[in-house]
Amino acid sequence: MSVSRANRIQLALVLGFLVLLHFWVRPRLWDARVSPDFLLMALVFFSMRAGPGAGAVAGFLVGLVTDALTPARFGAGALAHTVVGYLVAWARAVFFADNLAVYAGFVAVGLWLRDLVLLVASGTYRSPLLAEVTLYSPLQALVTALFALLILAAFREWFSIRLDL
Amino acid sequence: MTSASERSYTRRDTVMFLACLGLSLVALFSPDRLGQAVSRGLRGSVLAPLVWLQARAEEGRTGRARLRAITVQRDSAAYLAQGIPSLMAENERLRQLLSLSRRLSTPYVAAEVLHQAQATDGRTLLIDAGTRDGVAEFDAVVAPEGLIGVVLGAAERNSVVMTWAHPEFRVSAFTVTGNASGIVAPALLGAEGALEFRGVPYRDSVPPGTLVLSSGLGGVYPKGIPVGTVTGVIREQAGWERVYRLRPAANPGSAAHVLVLVAPPDADLARAFPSDSALEAMRLDSIARVRRSDSIAEAERLARAARAESLVVLRRDTATPRPAPRPAPAPRSAAPRPVPPATGDSIR
Repeated sequence: MSVSRANRIQLALVLGFLVLLHFWVRPRLWDARVSPDFLLMALVFFSMRAGPGAGAVAGFLVGLVTDALTPARFGAGALAHTVVGYLVAWARAVFFADNLAVYAGFVAVGLWLRDLVLLVASGTYRSPLLAEVTLYSPLQALVTALFALLILAAFREWFSIRLDL
Repeated sequence: MTSASERSYTRRDTVMFLACLGLSLVALFSPDRLGQAVSRGLRGSVLAPLVWLQARAEEGRTGRARLRAITVQRDSAAYLAQGIPSLMAENERLRQLLSLSRRLSTPYVAAEVLHQAQATDGRTLLIDAGTRDGVAEFDAVVAPEGLIGVVLGAAERNSVVMTWAHPEFRVSAFTVTGNASGIVAPALLGAEGALEFRGVPYRDSVPPGTLVLSSGLGGVYPKGIPVGTVTGVIREQAGWERVYRLRPAANPGSAAHVLVLVAPPDADLARAFPSDSALEAMRLDSIARVRRSDSIAEAERLARAARAESLVVLRRDTATPRPAPRPAPAPRSAAPRPVPPATGDSIR
């Protein structure tokens, strides 16, 4: 088995594990508004590995899934996740190196950006939008980033990233 | 893993991004009905396993909450079930009190006992009836089983009752057979929770099981209230007196409701506290009365049946043509003519 194929399998396993966490563990945790978003975490991890184009496609697919599962306006999730998937991969390719803090930061910023685009695209009014963007979204981004750190620490060998912050 | 940093940022990425962005905008501005149809299709096909997984997870989370709620409900039910025997006992006591209140022909005030968390609770009781209800000092307090005590002090809304367990309690009493009389007081030494029947003349022997009633002497307790039952001899002074031990008729510690007798103390309450034999006699008497009424009803039924039968015969006789009247017989051989039945209001 080639190294590239092994890496793809490892990435698929991690992503499958995150999907399982999202649909099996996340509902059992605390309030859904501040619980970790494992699906976005998987999107960020994939986009940072696969590149902007694949990240955009993955974001679009993940957005379709969220649009189908949430009562928000159809298409808003696809748009938000497409933007996040593309920008995360583009930013990593252009600016950043592999690092735990960078990964966690990408997850946090990606989640906040996703929420912002999602809320704007779905036509949320100003007051709830401000509350979401300034309160709940940062909280959820922080929680998701912490969980991302745990996941990355657990699979650091597969991701070949440095553990220093 | 192959790092993205090792890959070049190509034009294809931009095209893919723009394509996805365009598709997203199309989805965003597509009719709602179309979006709902796509969502429904996705949920029913590729997302069905994920939806099922999340539903199970939600069930697990809410299942814990439901389990907690059920546990709380079960605990509450168990707690309530623990009180059922006491409620049944209280119900029984209230029924007895109701029965007693029907038998009492003298005025009384019903009161609830406010038990206190004190070791001396059985000696004095606080009841929720006071002078506003007509309660006064030295009113006798009774339970369905018998004498509880006497009102020691009455406030406007509550009163303090000195029970028979109080060291200063005394009541003049006599046996139900009437052959012995004396003073009943609490047994202070070695027999807590019992009473002493003191001052019984030595010549009067009281067998165990004899019921002792208040005598009405002394002007405090009405006559005829059960005080206790003789269980044996405590001590005797040769040639002078015997002291008997009594098992109290009523227990102040378990009394939840009492009746305060506001009647003059010269009233006779013996009929309100019938002994077992009297109760049996009352029961037999009531049975006899029922039987008597049954026999009267049976006699009435028979009489109605006989009357209906005679009416049928009468109608049959009047429906058939009568023969021509015979010539009047000679007065000497005249037989008594049959008397026609009455045809008044009784015939319907």
